[in-house]
Amino acid sequence: MVWGAWICLLSPLVAAGLITLGGTRLSRHATGYVATLSCFVAFGGALAAFIGLLGRDGSQRQLVSTAWWWVTGGSYRSGLEVMIDPLSVFMMLIVSGVGALIVGYSIGYMDGDREERRYFAYMSLFVFSMLLLVQGGNLLLLLAGWGMVGLSSYLLIGFWHDRPSAIAAAKKAFVMNAVGDATMVLAFFLLIKKGNSLEFGILGGQYSSAVANLVALGLLGGAIAKSAQLPLQTWLPDAMEGPTPVSALIHAATMVTAGVYLIVRTHAIFEQAPKVADLAAGLGAATLLLAGLIALVQVDIKRVIAYSTMSQIGYMFLGAGLGSYANGMFHLMTHAFFKALLFMAAGIVIHALAAEQDMRKMGGLRALMPRTYWAFLIGALALVGIPPFAGFFSKDSILAAAMDHGAYGYVLWVVGLAGTFLTGLYTFRMLFLVFWGEPSAFVREHFHALRRDVVGVSMASTVGVLAVLSAVGGWLQFAPLWHPVETWLQTVAEPVVSPTSWQEAVSSALAFALGLGGIAVAWLVYGARRVAVPRFAFAQRTLEQKFYFDEAYQALFYAPAVFLARFLRRGVEQPLIADTGRDLADDTRDLGGLVARAQTGLLRTYALAIASSVAVLAVVFVAVK
Amino acid sequence: MIGPGVAWYLAVAGFLFGTGSLGVLLRRNPLIVLLSLEIMLNGANLALIGFARNLGDGSGQIFALAVMAVAASEVVVGLGLIVALNRKRVTLDVDRLNTLRG
Amino acid sequence: MIVASVGNVLVWAVWIVAAFACLASGAAVVSFSNPFYSALALIGNLGSLAVLYLLLSAEFVAAAQVLVYAGAVMVMFLFVIAYIGPRIESPWAGGPGWQAVGAVLAAGALLVEIVVVIGLKASGHLAHSEHVGAAFGSPAEIGRLFLTDHLLAFEITSIVLLVAAIGGVVLGAHSRRPAGEVPPL
Repeated sequence: MVWGAWICLLSPLVAAGLITLGGTRLSRHATGYVATLSCFVAFGGALAAFIGLLGRDGSQRQLVSTAWWWVTGGSYRSGLEVMIDPLSVFMMLIVSGVGALIVGYSIGYMDGDREERRYFAYMSLFVFSMLLLVQGGNLLLLLAGWGMVGLSSYLLIGFWHDRPSAIAAAKKAFVMNAVGDATMVLAFFLLIKKGNSLEFGILGGQYSSAVANLVALGLLGGAIAKSAQLPLQTWLPDAMEGPTPVSALIHAATMVTAGVYLIVRTHAIFEQAPKVADLAAGLGAATLLLAGLIALVQVDIKRVIAYSTMSQIGYMFLGAGLGSYANGMFHLMTHAFFKALLFMAAGIVIHALAAEQDMRKMGGLRALMPRTYWAFLIGALALVGIPPFAGFFSKDSILAAAMDHGAYGYVLWVVGLAGTFLTGLYTFRMLFLVFWGEPSAFVREHFHALRRDVVGVSMASTVGVLAVLSAVGGWLQFAPLWHPVETWLQTVAEPVVSPTSWQEAVSSALAFALGLGGIAVAWLVYGARRVAVPRFAFAQRTLEQKFYFDEAYQALFYAPAVFLARFLRRGVEQPLIADTGRDLADDTRDLGGLVARAQTGLLRTYALAIASSVAVLAVVFVAVK
Repeated sequence: MIGPGVAWYLAVAGFLFGTGSLGVLLRRNPLIVLLSLEIMLNGANLALIGFARNLGDGSGQIFALAVMAVAASEVVVGLGLIVALNRKRVTLDVDRLNTLRG
Repeated sequence: MIVASVGNVLVWAVWIVAAFACLASGAAVVSFSNPFYSALALIGNLGSLAVLYLLLSAEFVAAAQVLVYAGAVMVMFLFVIAYIGPRIESPWAGGPGWQAVGAVLAAGALLVEIVVVIGLKASGHLAHSEHVGAAFGSPAEIGRLFLTDHLLAFEITSIVLLVAAIGGVVLGAHSRRPAGEVPPL
């Protein structure tokens, strides 16, 4: 079982190394197979670890396997450790399983790209990094994985590096993640100072409330940067510049959920800092509302799904912030299924329309690609939370948990319900715009069906598997009746809130109703075209400009930084350093010239100099003697 | 020792040395400079012989002979230089010979 | 210091004449404008120095001085002066420049120091002279010293003479070939 976990961790790394070292010796398709195979092997390892844990008793389900002691300084030690416990195995299964499916899908999607090998190397690197993040046995390794997923994200967003917009988006993502990394590291410094270790256990120690709040704030900062929550959310929509499978894997299923994982993993410190936990929940709620609103006016199909991801992670933050950890993680799992499904189905649409992503040019694809339409529909229904599809079971548990948190919890509950309405609205707006109606002129001109070779098979089969999972995956946990997920994760993170059954029932009913309401409105406006799209100019502009966050950050951070840099260059570097160097050289040369004047070339001058020196020396010699 | 003491000889040697150095520093013709240099060397030789006599040690005389030999060699090279300069039609004036200036 | 005796008086007289001749000819060398006359004055200087050496019991050195220095080196000087031709310069024309002032000062300072040293500091040490035997400055003694105590100086001096001879030949070599032609080995 321990070896299962190590195989899971190292298999993608081996694949990345093989692909990198293989170079052109591996054909482009072969690299795809290598990467996919490694992910399946990783999944196998995770499964082995899972089965091993199952065989054990509940209290015995925490194993740490240390490869070697990595950093030792004084009384501080950190090792290369792998943690095998219910939470890490849960994440391992999701990451490697969904990752394998998406990498397999990429074989078809990226077919024909000139730099396919680099793509699969980066994807394998990413899967390794994410697994390192979730399997890391101490906070230091978690940070290592954290940084590496940021790096892989940068490399993959900027994959098509001849596009300046892609490069800019990659840099933006990396820099905003770096802000989060910085706060996390500060929190770690505090932990080392107070607890002298970075093992997960010290998070449960007793800290003064100031220290606990600071540590929790630092961790929260990292989480919201990585998960694209308010106020560090601006990088996620731009990250859609990367290829669609990248968006599916990194910016839907796994990397952006790392923030939620972090909060659940470090829940002990959040419980000691309840204000920060409330802040986390509040930020999650605000994000889900904001993202839902912005998604209403997006015209790029991938951006709608991106904002939807932002919104759903807001739900997960809401759950984790409130202390309903198992439900947050369960929603993470179902979200991975249906969001990856949506992205991949959208990828098939984009592929069929020769890389066109603007929804205004699409329409009527239902007849042309029926199976894709059904997959998309399943994903959309799961997203909105319509039973019996996956999202219903997970999302509603979170909403119910909000009811058990006092007055503040009820505010969050209302916001969450509003979000459900918006989710229904924007999701089905997207579906109706793309698939319903008559085929548009653009579609008639550019559509070409999926080929029936490996490319088509890889894309179709993986989408199919995810469709099935989105359909039935939610049945894993039906809150009132059976909850294996909660039991599984209980040893790691005991839930803080426990809603009663009638609260659950009320939540579910309201959420279902609101979801249906959103679908209905979308049908009215976009599906059946009975009602015209309402136009409120001010609201439209605000939403289109994403609530002016980018402009605010530009004015607050970028402009002063540029100003400071220019000032320093003009006022400090130029006169003090550049000019000083030049002046130093000039002065030395002048001094040399001065000294050189003693070399007259005349014999008599030299002789006079010698005679005078001898005279002086003789005096000195005689006087001393 | 009969006659003047060593101190008198040393005084003469000192005057010779001073006269020679004045010649080296003040004359412009390189030939005269060389001649003045010879006077300086002779002054030193006189001092050496004087001390040899005073201390009863023959090494002073050996030293003086060596100085004579070296003076001869130096005159050979110096005159060779002057002859070569003359052949190149360079003015024989030490104040004009300054191409080695830095 | 002055011991009254006939021998002493004779020695003193010879000494005074020789010393005067030495200093006068030295001054003459430095002052004449015609280099030929300066060379002749130097010959006179060397001769008077030889007399002084004889008074100091350095017979071999005196003979060597006359034969080698006055006989060979000065003759060579005269050859070269004759070859170069008349160069009558006016060394003392114009007032003394800063160079001349500096030179006089330096030389004067040196002289004063020498006199001071001889007169004040070292007079005690210089008063007593060693008694030397008849063989003191003889060729036999010089030869013996050269071949035993100062053998290294002897050899090195011969090397220096050899180098000077080579240098003389190199400096005097004629280069009659036109520019561009490689000189034969």
